Amino acid sequence: MATPLTTAPFSRRALLAGAGIGTAYLLAGCRSAVDTQGQASSGTATAKRGGTLRIVQGADIAPTSVLAQNNVNLSFLRLVYNTLIELDHKTLEPKPSLAESWTLSPDNKNLEFRLRDGVTFHSGRAFTSADVAFTLDYIRREEVASQLKHVAKQITDVQVKDERTIAITFGKSMSNVWDLFELLLILDKDTAAKIPSGTFVGTGPFAVASYAPGSKLTLKRHEKYWKDSRPLLDGVEIAIVRQSQSMLSSLRGGQAHLAVDLAPLDAASIKGDSRFEVVRADPQDSAFYVGTNAAAAPFTDKRARQGVAWAINRERILTQVLGEIGQTSSLPWSPTSPAYDKALAGTYSYDVAKAKALFEQAGIAGAPVQVNYNAGLSTNAAIAEIVTFDLKAAGLAATTTPLQGPDFQAKLTGGGLTGLFVNNHGFGQLAPATLVKGSFPFNADKNAASFDNADYKALAEKLWTTTDEAGQKAAQDEMNTFLLDQQFIVDLVVSSHTFTISNQVKGIAYSMYDYLNLDDAGLA
Amino acid sequence: MWSYLLRRAPSALLVLLISSVVIFFVLRLAPGDPAVLVAGPDASAETIEAVRRQLGLDRGIVSQYLTWISGLLTGDLGRSYVLGAPIAQLIATGAAGTLTLTAAACVIAALGGGLAGVILATTGNRWLRSVVDALTSLAFAVPTYVSGVLLVLVFAVTLRILPASGQYPGGFWSAPDLALQYLLMPAVCLALPAAAVVARFLAAAMRSTLDEDFIQTGVAKGLSKRRNTMRHVLPNSLPPVVTVFGIQVGQMLGGAIVVEAIFAWPGVGQLLLQGVLNRDYLLVQDLLLLAVTVFVVIQLLTDIVHALIDPRIRETL
Repeated sequence: MATPLTTAPFSRRALLAGAGIGTAYLLAGCRSAVDTQGQASSGTATAKRGGTLRIVQGADIAPTSVLAQNNVNLSFLRLVYNTLIELDHKTLEPKPSLAESWTLSPDNKNLEFRLRDGVTFHSGRAFTSADVAFTLDYIRREEVASQLKHVAKQITDVQVKDERTIAITFGKSMSNVWDLFELLLILDKDTAAKIPSGTFVGTGPFAVASYAPGSKLTLKRHEKYWKDSRPLLDGVEIAIVRQSQSMLSSLRGGQAHLAVDLAPLDAASIKGDSRFEVVRADPQDSAFYVGTNAAAAPFTDKRARQGVAWAINRERILTQVLGEIGQTSSLPWSPTSPAYDKALAGTYSYDVAKAKALFEQAGIAGAPVQVNYNAGLSTNAAIAEIVTFDLKAAGLAATTTPLQGPDFQAKLTGGGLTGLFVNNHGFGQLAPATLVKGSFPFNADKNAASFDNADYKALAEKLWTTTDEAGQKAAQDEMNTFLLDQQFIVDLVVSSHTFTISNQVKGIAYSMYDYLNLDDAGLA
Repeated sequence: MWSYLLRRAPSALLVLLISSVVIFFVLRLAPGDPAVLVAGPDASAETIEAVRRQLGLDRGIVSQYLTWISGLLTGDLGRSYVLGAPIAQLIATGAAGTLTLTAAACVIAALGGGLAGVILATTGNRWLRSVVDALTSLAFAVPTYVSGVLLVLVFAVTLRILPASGQYPGGFWSAPDLALQYLLMPAVCLALPAAAVVARFLAAAMRSTLDEDFIQTGVAKGLSKRRNTMRHVLPNSLPPVVTVFGIQVGQMLGGAIVVEAIFAWPGVGQLLLQGVLNRDYLLVQDLLLLAVTVFVVIQLLTDIVHALIDPRIRETL
């Protein structure tokens, strides 16, 4: 047997020299990618002009739904586009944006806008009332989705009086007219057809510099923005980082300045770190709920649905899943909504005995119940586990049923979910009619719970078409009583969209639909 | 050669045809409706139906298949339902990302694995051999989704010397030194298991070669140990390692999907995952059929190369 060689092919000296040269190159000859990211963010503690804000979010933007509130679009829509008005977060009164002034008839049927002068699209073309007329026509197209389409469809006439004046006539009085104009981004009529393929031209503070679908959206300052000396930032980069933990790492590593909608527990984990701030959007329009299939056993009986409402430990969900971001509630409304009633919000609390009794009365004790959820949403998965545990404790044979995202959405839309389902909804923050006419879980005409009820339809219509203050208040009270009694949607926690920012970011704002507004934002 | 290609062409086309049918129909067995996802949240039944018409999903399934195939034959891969962009453009961008990542991982796996293999086979330092042995075992055993997270925690979050995710915004050639820093962690993460395999196979092959008589002859003739190793042992140990490395390259291409997700690296894996999750039929169909086409072409090329190298095979073709 030959003796194997046992000498290393390189001397220790050669190895060390090689390693030393490599290290020296890295340390001295190379710029640091991390330092380069931080160049715009050194300096004083106040926002200054210049720099690029880097945003990370978990999913790509959805070009096909720019006129609907879609969470994946929260970051960029208000950066590229403007609306005619912006609602005040406290009073919900409209404030000027692209419209300088307006008149609304007492019956809410005739609305005339006077538009701002000197506004240009990113293309350089001047904004006129023809663009507003075009956008109103666009949102009414069948293939264009919007939760406020029911309002837009009531438009019977649009009169372009001159380049800066437009009059709109509605076929009926509605209580949520302003909700439409808070959502309605004004599109450039020349390029709107290209929006579904990723071409975005608006009047907003930033123009699109490049868009790599699935990867990154890069925006640059709109030099002719109509607000003086705004925006402060040179640009914005929105990168798609699919995992919440990776977004958190990007923030902690200094690679990103702002993360949109971190998983609640990730956001909670960073709350104590003075380098970051978790901004909870005050509209609080992300409510988590358990939906019932009210058209099929065992939840055709409202006592069975009420039993579910009593069975669930909302406090545990708020603490263990949502990291205390939000508040427990039996009502769908955000505290900003005129229909919100703090006393009624606590109607259902955790009471296993009551739940058991109601299940007994409804004759469903021990019945098998599926708790469906979108397996792609970790928050919903965790809530579904707690709901299942609680229902078992209350005497139902509950099992969790994870579904792939597309499967869940298709079944939700088609009424194909059996038993219960965990999901979240928005639209509790503005006019109550918008929830019961535009948000699918509650839509009186056709909803996720397959709850088809003439009384509900009548109440929803009343809430929508009553515009006087006293009548509206009465309708809201009636609706609250009805929803709490029927419980086809069992609300659990009213939570918020979050923007987790590094302490270098100053001056961020957002609309009542949580669209990020960076008009006054800058880097310290 | 041409006659061989002509003889093989029908079977290759048949494979592609059958694959296209299987991909098209099996994809539609998955529950979910792209029209619902494109229409967005809270969309009404009317809007969903209008979107379905717009996407052509209301037509018969055979008609949809024929439209897809005729598009492919004319070089039109279609548009992504959800992203709106031309699929050819999406695939080109994604392929560039995946190939860059895999190429960098190959270089790291070859150099790192090669060095570790040589040390394992030749060092007389027990301590060094034990450390390298333990490191290769670790690299082989730890899954990429664990090593990726650990790398981010150490180098991006704690030490803050490398970016946590993404690609350099300005493109590779605008600042290669910065772009390489973005590439380093995902490439290392992807390369670790392959490097461990290369190290193990190389060490075993070198140990076997060291036992050969011609190596001992070299020693007897007074060749220095380093020269003997580099000139004779290593080259004679490489052929089986190259074969193994080739297999590892294929596995790295497949494994890139996980690494792309961890490091938000835009590649084909991310694109495919997004396509599947969005039921973006056209995008997924094109990507899968492209993968089948690549394999068919590689198989043809392999046969041709074998024929060029070996006259006996050439005669049978």
